[in-house]
Amino acid sequence: MTLFKQLLGNKKALVGLTILVAIILIAIFAPLLTEYSPTRRVGRPHQPPSWDHWLGTTRLGHDVFSRLVHGARVSLAVGFGAGLMITIVGTVLGIIAGYKGGVVDEVINFFTNMVLVVPNLPLLLVIAAFVGQAGPVVIALILGFTSWAWGVRVTRSETLSIRQRDYVKSAEMLGEPSWRIMALEIFPNLISIVGINFIGSVIFAVIAEATLGFLGLGDPNTVSWGIMLFNAQNASALSVGAWWDLLSPCFALALLGLGLALLNFAIDEVANPRLRTGGMLKSWSRMVLLGEGKL
Amino acid sequence: MGVRATMSGLPHPLPSSPVKGEVPPGEPGKIVPEPAERKEHKNMAFLLRRLAFYLAAFLAAATVNFFLPRLMPGDPIQIMFASAGSELSLENLNALKLTFGFIDAPLHEQYFAYIKSVFTGDLGRSIKYFPLPVTELLGRALVWTLGLVGIATLISFAVGTILGVMAAWRRGTLFDSAVSLVAIFSSSVPAIVVSLILLFVFGYTLRWFPNGYAANPLLDPGFNWTYISSVLYHGTLPMLTLVIVLTGGFAVTMRNNMINLLGEDYIVMGRAKGLADNRVMLFYAARNALLPTVSSLAIAMGTVLGGSLIVEVVFNYPGLGNTLYQAILARDYPVIQGQLLIMTGAMLVSNFVVDLSYVLLDPRLKKA
Amino acid sequence: MSAPVLSIRNLNIDYIGAEANFRAVKDVSFDIAPGEFFGLAGESGCGKSTIAFAVSRLHRPPALIRTGSEILVDGRDVLELDKDALRRFRWREVAMVFQSAMNSLNPVLTIEAQFYDVLHTHKGMSREAARERAAELLKLVDIPPDRLAAYPHQCSGGMRQRIVIAICLALNPKLLIMDEPTTALDVVVQREILQRIDVLRKRLGFAVLFITHDLGLMVQVSDRIGIMLEGELVEVNDAQTIYRSPQHDYTKRLWASMPKLHGDQIRPEAGA
Ligand SMILES: Nc1ncnc2c1ncn2[C@@H]1O[C@H](COP(=O)(O)OP(=O)(O)OP(=O)(O)O)[C@@H](O)[C@H]1O
Ligand SMILES: [Mg+2]
Repeated sequence: MTLFKQLLGNKKALVGLTILVAIILIAIFAPLLTEYSPTRRVGRPHQPPSWDHWLGTTRLGHDVFSRLVHGARVSLAVGFGAGLMITIVGTVLGIIAGYKGGVVDEVINFFTNMVLVVPNLPLLLVIAAFVGQAGPVVIALILGFTSWAWGVRVTRSETLSIRQRDYVKSAEMLGEPSWRIMALEIFPNLISIVGINFIGSVIFAVIAEATLGFLGLGDPNTVSWGIMLFNAQNASALSVGAWWDLLSPCFALALLGLGLALLNFAIDEVANPRLRTGGMLKSWSRMVLLGEGKL
Repeated sequence: MGVRATMSGLPHPLPSSPVKGEVPPGEPGKIVPEPAERKEHKNMAFLLRRLAFYLAAFLAAATVNFFLPRLMPGDPIQIMFASAGSELSLENLNALKLTFGFIDAPLHEQYFAYIKSVFTGDLGRSIKYFPLPVTELLGRALVWTLGLVGIATLISFAVGTILGVMAAWRRGTLFDSAVSLVAIFSSSVPAIVVSLILLFVFGYTLRWFPNGYAANPLLDPGFNWTYISSVLYHGTLPMLTLVIVLTGGFAVTMRNNMINLLGEDYIVMGRAKGLADNRVMLFYAARNALLPTVSSLAIAMGTVLGGSLIVEVVFNYPGLGNTLYQAILARDYPVIQGQLLIMTGAMLVSNFVVDLSYVLLDPRLKKA
Repeated sequence: MSAPVLSIRNLNIDYIGAEANFRAVKDVSFDIAPGEFFGLAGESGCGKSTIAFAVSRLHRPPALIRTGSEILVDGRDVLELDKDALRRFRWREVAMVFQSAMNSLNPVLTIEAQFYDVLHTHKGMSREAARERAAELLKLVDIPPDRLAAYPHQCSGGMRQRIVIAICLALNPKLLIMDEPTTALDVVVQREILQRIDVLRKRLGFAVLFITHDLGLMVQVSDRIGIMLEGELVEVNDAQTIYRSPQHDYTKRLWASMPKLHGDQIRPEAGA
């Protein structure tokens, strides 16, 4: 996998990957990282950070650090689960629309454009409101159901151009069935787009989970970053000076978002040679400075 | 291809570079002698087609609204009222059933009744503030949201685009790297995080800006400097949040579009003609790169609207978002449904404005 | 021979890579006399465009013109010009038709605006004066002046090509570089454009640096021809010699690989 190898040589990708892996490890080993239960009262309400409670306590006396590392599990699970669904739907529909063309394409394209002009968050809110207090699984399902359109659009347009290439044409000449062409000739050439779509969808899903939670549409009994935000906001954390309650999940979200975004930018750079500057610009500038040549 | 910069948490992604096939490509070699009036005709047809599409999209949103309560188990009206916890007379309850299209008739007649009331501007009544019509409640809030969103979008589009142009033109320099870095931060940190941090730092800690409201509540609204300055003062942090969150996405989009164009022959020819650097940068490179950027603006509008919902909740700003938040807490379903239609409407209108500007910007535009 | 209008001396151009550099032009030297039609031929990727770009210094990183190279236009070294002088030099002394001339008009500006650009920047002309001059120039290439209000996409490929040539002539340059200006056109239009250039050259007196890999076509129109192979100029001679008795092995092979379509027609008049 050249794409993968190139990514390992990219600084942005390395930093992003490090952040992501660290958060995943923290989520996996959450119970080992803290002695406190995330759902029990373990201290006095709204204690500032201290040796006993690294990130302080909530108004209910829960340990913020414990809730944060346990919450990472739910946030990541929703993110990756929904991200996977969004990507699969988007990729499959996009390839089919782009390769089949004709009526199939027109129908898929019409619905895609339609979903794209209905604002996503308001739609999510309405659905979530009717579902009631949505648990993580339900939230992931709703996200997968409503957010695939962007993926279809980019996958479709890329498929349209790949369809014209020689190897696809020759596979057609040989009479390969179309599902084989789509799966074996087209899909492998879409890897970077699928990757970008997947990571983007994960970011989107993590943030959407937090947003729905924050707006009071999540299940208050789960431990997730969104629910932490909701509880802190309800406890007026900022106005009573308990900033740790609110800012902890904030920074966690920002860090995860940053890590994933770095990865995404890196894939874009690697996959799109026009955007890549690489080492050549550096050595070019050096040579110009040394007077070895000019433009 | 582009990065799906998630525009910070605002659930809608913004592709960083043009989606192929979206921008009408110039067809090299084709002879299209085109009289001016015929071109105008085509533009009209294009815009009409877009309008029809938007109507269909609006219909789709209304259809979602129609079916959602019907998918709930049990009697939806009863459940809606039970969870809202309010008491209503039988008469009012019936009035409400009517606006939701729950009439004694087959489903398709219910559907048409509902669609008709939606298109005649009747979105039902708020349960929490019964009998206040939803349109009135949301209409009041919409003004604030549109102001916030409109200005924030203009500022961030302008700043982001200019940054993107300069970064692409000075590609590989320190300035370019700095813009990229800022853009990554800006487009990866969610609005919810930015707004809470700004509120904490500038609202609670430094106390430079107020923590809520659109203006000093003690002032009488009016067209005078005292009131307007109060509005600006209160709007600064919400606006700043949106600008921080949006600018990076626009900058990346513009930068990547522009870099993709820099090798084009017409740009090299612009340089070969001995034109001033700025003229080539602005009228040859940026002007062409602007087209796909503008079309990405249409998609970004959903992000912007979503972002404003969150920002308004955090800053207790009396726009749609805050009204919606109150409605969610009170399970005031007609209001929650109404905001979807109003938001969709706002989205469609801004998309149409983008279409219009596209027609103005691209002489090649013949069909979408 | 009078003093050359273009004199390239020891030109070396690299494309800088992350690990290794690629030398696209290797120690190339040749002269073009005033009013001469000079052809540069060679297979795809041998560095023809790289030389053409260097004359007006249009390269962008990672291209690097190595120190020691000289590009003299009318005796003045282009590589020594500062930013402003370079801007004044471009188009006034050397104009260029690009490899894909069809795409070298700015799609969002009218034809008139693209003339005005040049005329205003270099001559300070007003819009009216520029319009008049532009109409004159279009007449030279047989395009009605009402096309001035059109956008490039409203013109056919051949038309765009001629418009670019008209823009090239706007400032009476000493040298016109044409980088495979005809590859995208059909044979008839191709021939017509080259004949027109030949006529204009004789009337206006500019020299032409004509680039192509179609040796047969080149022999018909050029006075002298340079043959390039992998960045090196392996043979320079007058067209007749290149055609009748090529010296270098590579030139011979190049001829051998050409379909013998053109027969003995050596000057364009013969083919017309
Ligand atoms: N930006 C670049 N970076 C690296 N190598 C390049 C770059 N541009 C051109 N080259 C290489 O330089 C060599 C010469 O390119 P050039 O465009 O001058 O060829 P050419 O003779 O004009 O070919 P053609 O007839 O196809 O136009 C080629 O091998 C090409 O691969
Ligand atoms: Mg070339």
